[in-house]
Amino acid sequence: MSNPALLAPGGTLDMAMTAVDEGADIVYVGPLGWSRRPYESEMTDDDIRAAIDYAGERGRQVRVVLNTFPSPFEMDDFARKAELYAGWGASGFIVTDPGAISLIRRLVPDTLIHVSIGSGITNSWDAEFYRELGADVIILPYRWDVEEIAETRCVSGIGLETFLFETVQTGKICPGKCIMSSYLKFREWLDIEGKDTFGSANRGAKECYRVCQTNWEFSAEHGDPVQIKLRRDARLMLEQLPVFVELGVKCFKISGRERPTAMIRDLVRFYRKALDGIAAGQTDMSVYVDELAALRARWTVEKRKRVDVLMDRAEHCADAAPALAMAR
Amino acid sequence: MFELSTNVASPQQLRRGDFSAYDALYLGEFSCLSYPNNFCAHPEFLADAAEQVHALGKKAYLRLFAVPSNHDLPTVRKVIEAALALPFDGFEVHNLGLLQMLKEMGNTKPIHLGVFGNLYTDATARVVKDYGVTRVYPNPELSLDEAIYIRDNTPIDVLIPVHGKIPLVVAETCFIHENSGGLPGEDCKFKCAQEHWLTRASGDWSLKDTGCMTLSGADLCMLEHVEKLTAAKLNAFYVQSHGESPEYIATVGRIYRDAFTKAFAGETEGDVQPLLQELSGLAKMGLCNGYYFGDAGRRYVGRT
Repeated sequence: MSNPALLAPGGTLDMAMTAVDEGADIVYVGPLGWSRRPYESEMTDDDIRAAIDYAGERGRQVRVVLNTFPSPFEMDDFARKAELYAGWGASGFIVTDPGAISLIRRLVPDTLIHVSIGSGITNSWDAEFYRELGADVIILPYRWDVEEIAETRCVSGIGLETFLFETVQTGKICPGKCIMSSYLKFREWLDIEGKDTFGSANRGAKECYRVCQTNWEFSAEHGDPVQIKLRRDARLMLEQLPVFVELGVKCFKISGRERPTAMIRDLVRFYRKALDGIAAGQTDMSVYVDELAALRARWTVEKRKRVDVLMDRAEHCADAAPALAMAR
Repeated sequence: MFELSTNVASPQQLRRGDFSAYDALYLGEFSCLSYPNNFCAHPEFLADAAEQVHALGKKAYLRLFAVPSNHDLPTVRKVIEAALALPFDGFEVHNLGLLQMLKEMGNTKPIHLGVFGNLYTDATARVVKDYGVTRVYPNPELSLDEAIYIRDNTPIDVLIPVHGKIPLVVAETCFIHENSGGLPGEDCKFKCAQEHWLTRASGDWSLKDTGCMTLSGADLCMLEHVEKLTAAKLNAFYVQSHGESPEYIATVGRIYRDAFTKAFAGETEGDVQPLLQELSGLAKMGLCNGYYFGDAGRRYVGRT
């Protein structure tokens, strides 16, 4: 069995280089307006090229995240972007839209295609659909555990990727099946590279306001309202790693392009150490308990800060003048 | 000339509703297999349902569960097996794994891709067309121009929702059950029979929650734009009515049946204000135009 790859985020060029330095096998980066993240967590083409060069010189790879659901009017631009990055040496793409997957497979036959979490798969047959379409790897839902992973291995030959999160979520668990944010509010953007976007983050506009993570009043027809959040998040995981590796998971993904670089640096360092240990035969993860607890606490704090920023933008969205994009 | 359709979850709703304004019915509540007597989960109800709908002179499309886990697949497979032997006019599928399954099971009936099929591009429409999809319900975030472009460039039939709350979220767990202390697998006691609302006063935001699905607070209303829809040669229209009363379904259907009949006959629509008032009276949180004109979903854009 080959060792699984550690995928790390490159929300900025600095973060991408740091992740490479700390031992990530693959760094993923998103172009402005094409990767479902706010402007400050996406990169210009110049930075993407620099990240590809930096990783390539050190024997590492870059995947480019093109995981928006593009407009049907944008498909020519989408195709040009994919060919451009492949020409620069990007080894693969992370994609959501089935038609876009099919398009990239035709344009760049030898590239590696990961199916993004935005595809919203819920069962093993979904994985087989994407394999038949030409995808190489599929990211599995946060909540999936040993049973689902094993079953998917039986149903489909597609490569499996998991987030480094535990399956403790409750509430509205709906990756790829949510347009709440854009129903409530969005603004149009013109990126410095000229891409004009509107609608939800699904479509490349800059902001999912994370409305699921703020406080709501929930009320039944006959009853008092209660204060509630729509979703409780997963947390960083570790214990499951050895068995997931044993089951043949091909890639482990750290999410967090919007986190501080220092946080990503420490996460890459931590999971590199854990995966190397497993490759050397280690199965007892308890030695990492304290380190993991500290990282979990930091993750939670950073996530809270991030949600506050996004909610603030939702409420005052004409106020900010972002550096890499202009609100129209 | 045109087809106006809506949805019906169960045999009880089919019996008590007035669907005289509609040409076709989508049978089943696609967001929750535990919904009482849901056609999506009860193969034993399907033969009678298909017969009843056809006896009314309407088409019967069977909806399949939108978010099936591996655990749910045996139930869904039984429903498909039963339906394949019955005279349904098509399946509605939201989950791409089920497209794969229908192909493997030798289905030859038309397939409609449902709202949670995430259809955003003509490139994807061409992919699913190869699996037998003949009609797509574009993701609600798409504008009318984008939906028309997909229709013309695939080419494929597109279903255009014209009224009702917009499906925004479908989740794998029931929010109502979970937040009333229910445990996974426990009898939910059909708490979603009561209306549930999510509101955020500081942002003037409201959403309707049906447990596994979150809907827009406002009702999509395209009555003022019927002539624009017919001029674009769109001809499959849909009223989203999950969680609404029989009166709502009958009234909304009647208003749009009349409006489209006039429009397709070349008659001008005239003053729709009284009808808009009637529709407003049925909408607790007001009316909206969804994303059809390139705006945030909850906004209403008048005819001008």
